Amino acid sequence: MEAVCLDLTPRVLLAEDDKELRELLALVLENASYEVCQCSNGEQLLARLTEQRSFNLVISDIRMPGLDGLEVLARRSGKMQEIPFICMTAFGDERIHRRARDLGAAAIIDKPFDLDEMMELVAHVCLRSERN
Amino acid sequence: MRLTIKITLAILLGVVLIFSVYSYLSIQREREQLKRNLSREARHIGESLRVIVTELWQQRGEDEALGFLLRANQGYSETLVRWVWIRENSPLSHQPRVPLAHLDRLRFEETVTLMAASDEGYDFLLTYLPVLIPGEDMGAIELTESMEEMHDYIQESLRRSAIVVAALVVSGLLLMTVLGSIWVGRPMRKLRAQAERIGTGDFTTSVNLSGSDELAELSSTIERMRGQLAQARDAEQAAQAAKFEALEKLRHTERLATLGQLSAGMAHELGTPLNVIAGRAKLIAREGLPAEDITRSANIIHEQAQRMTGIMRQLLSFARRGEARKQPVDINLVIHAVLPLLEPTLNKQQVEFCVEDTPSELLVYADAAQLQQVLLNLILNGIHAMPAGGKITLSCFAATTVTVPDSVANPDQSWACLQVTDEGSGIDPEVQQRMFDPFFTTKDVGEGTGLGLSIAYGIIQEHGGWIAVDSVPGNGSSFRVYLPLACRGGAA
Repeated sequence: MEAVCLDLTPRVLLAEDDKELRELLALVLENASYEVCQCSNGEQLLARLTEQRSFNLVISDIRMPGLDGLEVLARRSGKMQEIPFICMTAFGDERIHRRARDLGAAAIIDKPFDLDEMMELVAHVCLRSERN
Repeated sequence: MRLTIKITLAILLGVVLIFSVYSYLSIQREREQLKRNLSREARHIGESLRVIVTELWQQRGEDEALGFLLRANQGYSETLVRWVWIRENSPLSHQPRVPLAHLDRLRFEETVTLMAASDEGYDFLLTYLPVLIPGEDMGAIELTESMEEMHDYIQESLRRSAIVVAALVVSGLLLMTVLGSIWVGRPMRKLRAQAERIGTGDFTTSVNLSGSDELAELSSTIERMRGQLAQARDAEQAAQAAKFEALEKLRHTERLATLGQLSAGMAHELGTPLNVIAGRAKLIAREGLPAEDITRSANIIHEQAQRMTGIMRQLLSFARRGEARKQPVDINLVIHAVLPLLEPTLNKQQVEFCVEDTPSELLVYADAAQLQQVLLNLILNGIHAMPAGGKITLSCFAATTVTVPDSVANPDQSWACLQVTDEGSGIDPEVQQRMFDPFFTTKDVGEGTGLGLSIAYGIIQEHGGWIAVDSVPGNGSSFRVYLPLACRGGAA
């Protein structure tokens, strides 16, 4: 991936341990003209975030082997924190929602979600981020 | 029947005793009467003879008088009449049969009557009538009456009494045997058979004796008792059945509660494939997708649906409580059945799960579903003991040296041991004492029923085993489930 950010093509960093879901989301995002960078765990996600800060959006699953989404959220530092962070969770637990919000997540979406709903959320978060 | 004979004999003995005393007294009375009669008779004869002898002695002299007495004997076959001198040194033919000392009263001119026995043993009634001849020594007329006739009469009376007694005994025994059998023996046999039936738990047959005697009363008492026992047994059986049902319901509830604990993990497990399926379906539904992408999406949908089916099947097979059935079960199979159920929860709680080397086959005689529940409860407890994650180690082995608790019914057998060790906070000794009590829980309200360990303990106890705990607070806990080892194809 190149560290070039084109305004018209928002770049999304996607972290999900389930291959099928990850690929599906990537496909849908790409179809909607997003550039997608895929990670399969928290360590990769944090590494990508550290080396490149040109992402417009992070979409991450919370429960992943090794470093989980909440921990990545917590370890963000400096400019990294400005990138909106959408959390996906299947645990639907209010405590997890609260914790993710406290750590600065822009939005939390419960699995299973509707793809259109996800795309709306992504567009909305990107727009809000651009305005800021 | 023996009782009838005893009562009969007692009655007969009484009757015989009374009859014998009555007979004895009767015979004695008759004997006295006879003696008095004989004595009176002898006196009358003696009186007559005395008058004649006195007259003859005074008018014709001693010889004529004594000769008369000798002749008088000829008229009396039984009575011997003699003249005796009441003095010492009289000739033998005129000496009294008894010593003179017994005849003192003759000197007061009184008639003397007494009994004497001959040398041969015959009894005699002797009557002496004093005769005073002026100028002569004192003499007397001796009348000897043999008592043989009276003896014969008494003998006959005794014989008749004996016959009557014997007849009484025989007829009494016969009658009581027949009537005793009808009145006592037969009903007693019926009552005994009924008591034995009731004793063996057969309350179906009723026995009612007709009549109003004690045995009939006893039979109706036994009938009442039979009815009450049958009622009590029915009530006890119903209570037992209700208890079993309640226990079974409670266990099922606990299974569902365990499922509830697993459900958060399962939701994650189901949520992801569901997301993929929904998304892929949506992709297909959009127009303009290349044919190969449609095929690929359909295949992914199929795979994800299969993955969900597998998870659902495991959940259902655990939730569904089939007929409790004990059979030889390999503990390894039980472990492998619970692993997929636990995996999501283990992942969620970041708990590493490790199954240590186990024998290729370790058979126990058990209900596999119940054993699964026990294992799930123990592992879930371990997971809850490590809120910050950790490691749970599971191992099973044939235990060689075991200290069997006193509460175990069959301590002499081989044991299989299933051990669950966590790295959690450990259990206080105080909690260890109460942890198997129903409704005892250290978890927050809504997080645990407090029944899991109690039910696990009950299940293992029902399988003839026990659960042991080793725990050092701060250093983790180790639960060991001991079960009797089974051989393939048979009970333990």
